[in-house]
Amino acid sequence: MQDKLRKYIDGLFENTTPTRKSVELKEEMIQNLHDKYNDLLGEGKSEEAAYNIAVAGIGDISGLLKELEADRDTERNTDNMNQEARQKSAMLTSIAVALYILSPIPLIMLELAGARDAALIGLPLFFLFIAAATGLLIYNNMTKPRYGKDSETMVEEFREWQSDEKDRKALRKAISSAMWTIIVAVYLIVSFMTMMWWITWIIFIIGMAIEALMNVFYVWKKN
Amino acid sequence: MSITSDLLRGHTDTIILARLMASDNYGYEINKSIQHKTGGRYELKEATLYTAFRRLETAGCISSYWGDEQTGARRRYYSITDIGKESYQTLLGEWKTAKEMIDNLIKTEEYE
Repeated sequence: MQDKLRKYIDGLFENTTPTRKSVELKEEMIQNLHDKYNDLLGEGKSEEAAYNIAVAGIGDISGLLKELEADRDTERNTDNMNQEARQKSAMLTSIAVALYILSPIPLIMLELAGARDAALIGLPLFFLFIAAATGLLIYNNMTKPRYGKDSETMVEEFREWQSDEKDRKALRKAISSAMWTIIVAVYLIVSFMTMMWWITWIIFIIGMAIEALMNVFYVWKKN
Repeated sequence: MSITSDLLRGHTDTIILARLMASDNYGYEINKSIQHKTGGRYELKEATLYTAFRRLETAGCISSYWGDEQTGARRRYYSITDIGKESYQTLLGEWKTAKEMIDNLIKTEEYE
């Protein structure tokens, strides 16, 4: 008879998509019905009568199930919005990377064309590109929708922590790539202007030192 | 009787909150105490009960958790929040006002 109760409830939920909420409601209903059924048996009712009284007490749950379905649709819409945000974020990152790659082009072109004071025009352009790209990356990081916590389960907390960690890593990567592009540019510019190629490679060593120091700073700040 | 149950149904939230003011409880036990307090004359349909739980939980009046019964299936318990306690007082006040007004409106001795 207990199985019959479960079957009856299963039937009521037949057309409802199983979500956390609907499964919980179903379990809650089954549990309460069992209690009621056992109480009725305790009062001396027959199994048949107890089952009928328990089932009759449920009433019409179609409205409630409709609300659950509506909740699910809202959740799905949020998913769609997240996807749009991801696409936007991917586009911004691509533009930023393209800007990084293109940044030395004006300088190289001017240099090749043999323009006088090529660096005077090329350099500001170069830094403008870099600044724009870095700005884009940072803007992207700040506006990206964060993973929202919607329940207090451990899985959600872990995912939130993971998403935090990912954001931080992405920012570090962006800063690092911007820095190295600038270091290469500085190396080339300094070398071309001074023609002291035998010593200018030291710029890379300095760059590595800066990056190492930044890493130390990150770790130190995290603790 | 139908007016009585209509009236009672209109106060489902207040009734549930009042049950939870005493202690945390689960669906069937709440319904049983309603039945008990009305001398077996009134009982909520489960659909009404769960709809009310959902409404109250969304409004932040109650919160729910799964019990840790050692034997048998786990029960879902509800507990009243601070918002819920405030709502209860408001609803109780409203009922008292309504009761007073209805009493005055439907008594007839002044015409006798």
